[in-house]
Amino acid sequence: MLKVEHLTKVYPGGTVALKDLSFEVEDGEFLVVIGLSGSGKSTLLRCINRLIDPTEGKITMDGADITAAKGAELRHIRRQIGMIFQHFNLVKRSSVMTNVLNGRLGYLNPWLSTMGIFPAEEKKRAQQALARLGIEDKVHSRADELSGGQQQRVGIARTLMQEPKLILADEPVASLDPVLAHSILQYLEQLNKDDKVTVICSLHYLDLIQRYATRVIGLKDGVKVFEGLPSEINRVKFKEIYGEEAQDIRATALE
Amino acid sequence: MAKKHKIFVQPLSNNHMTKTKTAPKWLAILLSAFLPGLGQAFQRRIRTGLYIFLAFATSLAVVFWDRGYTGAESSSWMIIPALIWLWNIFNVAFFPKASSALIPVFLWLILAYGVGAKVTEFNLPALFQNVGRSQTMIREILHPDFVQPLTEKRTGFSEIESPCSSALKAPNHSTGDVTVTILQPCANNGDIITIEGSGFWPNESVTVAWHIPIGPQAMSTTVMSDAQGNVKLDWQVLPIVYSNAPDPSIPQIHRVVLTQEHPSGGIELSSVGGYVLQGISETLGLAFLSTIVGALFAIPFGFLAARNLMTGSPIGTLFYFIIRTILNITRSIEALIMAIIFVIIVGLGPFPGMIALTIHTTAALGKLYSEVIEGIDAGPIEAIRATGANWLQVVRFAVIPQIVPSFTALTIYRWDINVRSSTIIGFVGGGGIGFFLWQWIILQDFRAVGSSFFAIAVVVIIMDFLSAQIRERLV
Ligand SMILES: Nc1ncnc2c1ncn2[C@@H]1O[C@H](COP(=O)(O)OP(=O)(O)OP(=O)(O)O)[C@@H](O)[C@H]1O
Ligand SMILES: [Mg+2]
Repeated sequence: MLKVEHLTKVYPGGTVALKDLSFEVEDGEFLVVIGLSGSGKSTLLRCINRLIDPTEGKITMDGADITAAKGAELRHIRRQIGMIFQHFNLVKRSSVMTNVLNGRLGYLNPWLSTMGIFPAEEKKRAQQALARLGIEDKVHSRADELSGGQQQRVGIARTLMQEPKLILADEPVASLDPVLAHSILQYLEQLNKDDKVTVICSLHYLDLIQRYATRVIGLKDGVKVFEGLPSEINRVKFKEIYGEEAQDIRATALE
Repeated sequence: MAKKHKIFVQPLSNNHMTKTKTAPKWLAILLSAFLPGLGQAFQRRIRTGLYIFLAFATSLAVVFWDRGYTGAESSSWMIIPALIWLWNIFNVAFFPKASSALIPVFLWLILAYGVGAKVTEFNLPALFQNVGRSQTMIREILHPDFVQPLTEKRTGFSEIESPCSSALKAPNHSTGDVTVTILQPCANNGDIITIEGSGFWPNESVTVAWHIPIGPQAMSTTVMSDAQGNVKLDWQVLPIVYSNAPDPSIPQIHRVVLTQEHPSGGIELSSVGGYVLQGISETLGLAFLSTIVGALFAIPFGFLAARNLMTGSPIGTLFYFIIRTILNITRSIEALIMAIIFVIIVGLGPFPGMIALTIHTTAALGKLYSEVIEGIDAGPIEAIRATGANWLQVVRFAVIPQIVPSFTALTIYRWDINVRSSTIIGFVGGGGIGFFLWQWIILQDFRAVGSSFFAIAVVVIIMDFLSAQIRERLV
């Protein structure tokens, strides 16, 4: 469904964050991107929904050229791609309800929504999304009153409002404890399995990778150094991706 | 100095100890005599040398400036640079290792105090000698004239001819609750007349006043009413009652007026109180309006002066610097100065004060708003862009919720400041309570001044409290 060809991103400062990266994602995959901090995982995910403009290369989703899209067409593509963030990126002072409704903005009349008028059925949809994530009792709380795990669930509910074909998750559990990490990833897995939503997710922990990924891509300094099944990641591969120094810590974690 | 230091330090750096010993003391003394601090630098005490040099040079400069300022031929303060110079030689000769420059700094401070005191006409004793002068003033200020007891009045009069003429007419007197009669139909200079009145409130004082035909009242006295509300008194006619008459021998009709004021319970605003209220409401209105208008103008400036929004392109960066500079310059001009300028342009009253405050508010809030905008979290913005929202929706749902509480808090804080500023601005003719206060100070009506002080204090305390409360809830 998604095809990335020769993707390169050079930041204005001259940092080459992605170098000639190509891969494909099939419908229904749970693709995990791994790599050291600074290897370009966030850059890659943000190029896919054009929060960052790639320097070179082409990304297509179901035949539509994402890299060439502009204006309304780009917004149309974006609303089909949900995004989940490490720091949740909720609007802290707004209510949970408003945050979830924000996920629907791409579908709504811009003028009415700007005035804060949302159709009743959208509110119902938001309520259902929250119910599905088990936090329907928090509808009226302010987003910053919630715990980290609850905030990330609001983030997922916001994404659900987009009825996405693809979900990009940038280290969705990196600021959560291990128990919560599983619970959040299980929601993503559920969306992936039951709703047939393709997921591209960056993760750091090997146990999580092997538990949830259907396929793994490894990045190192913006270059793809691994592509394969999670079970193929062994000591040697791990060393390649994470570098010699990281070997000890990571390798023990692997065993 | 730097050159000398270099020449000497370079060889020293290899073998510090031996060279220090051989460094000739007489050369250091000579160098310090020539230029204070140089000898110390030569002894590798660069910092001490620098301090001594600076203390010497600046104290010398101050003495010369003081001479120029006062026009005196010579200044006794010359002793300070001289002492620094002496100490400097002493220091080189006897303390080649000490690193303190405390004494020259201390000497320098004495000089600064002495010259400063002269220039500012500093006179500490005056603060204590003339305390007495302020006592009446302070007593009046502490007894503000804001309200007065509500009173009722009873008054009546009777006419009397003076001096007596050949053809006497029956004198008129007032009709009503109060009757006043004078037993004598006429009186000459020095005569004693007997005045009787009835219908007053019992056992309270009654003012008796002699009104001459033209001009002010000539004599007055007071008398107590008896238990029945009657009064009776004998009163001598004094020459002053003829003082305004062209010819004191021509008979004229005068009037004796009896007045009694009686507190009727309750209080009313005194006329000063009325002005204070008017001034305070003017000041509050002025502050409110200039805050609102200034805040509205400040919003676009805030966005244009936000680094994170503007510095993406060269044109944006240029705009950013221009707007920043304008805001900074405008902000640095006191609202008071602007008010003076606008009073000259548009005349006295609240309007020039309002313009000045509005401009100052715009600049100050523009800067603060831009800082809020610079501090917003980019996370929600990218999250909402990622949902396919358009620009307007991103602003509405990601930017505005982040900035509105801070904007509101800052605006309220500014209103609080503006209430104070508009009081001061009144002093230069910018309307409001300050304007009245200024006039009362000139008229030396210190009770009115006191009333204004108390009113201002109350308003400022209330504003402070309210704004703190609201801000606490917002942030
Ligand atoms: N806005 C930017 N401007 C310039 N350079 C950037 C920018 N964002 C990221 N970079 C650089 O690009 C490289 C890749 O960064 P990226 O954030 O994609 O890495 P990452 O794999 O997500 O790392 P992490 O695990 O720490 O999130 C890094 O060297 C980073 O310094
Ligand atoms: Mg990242």
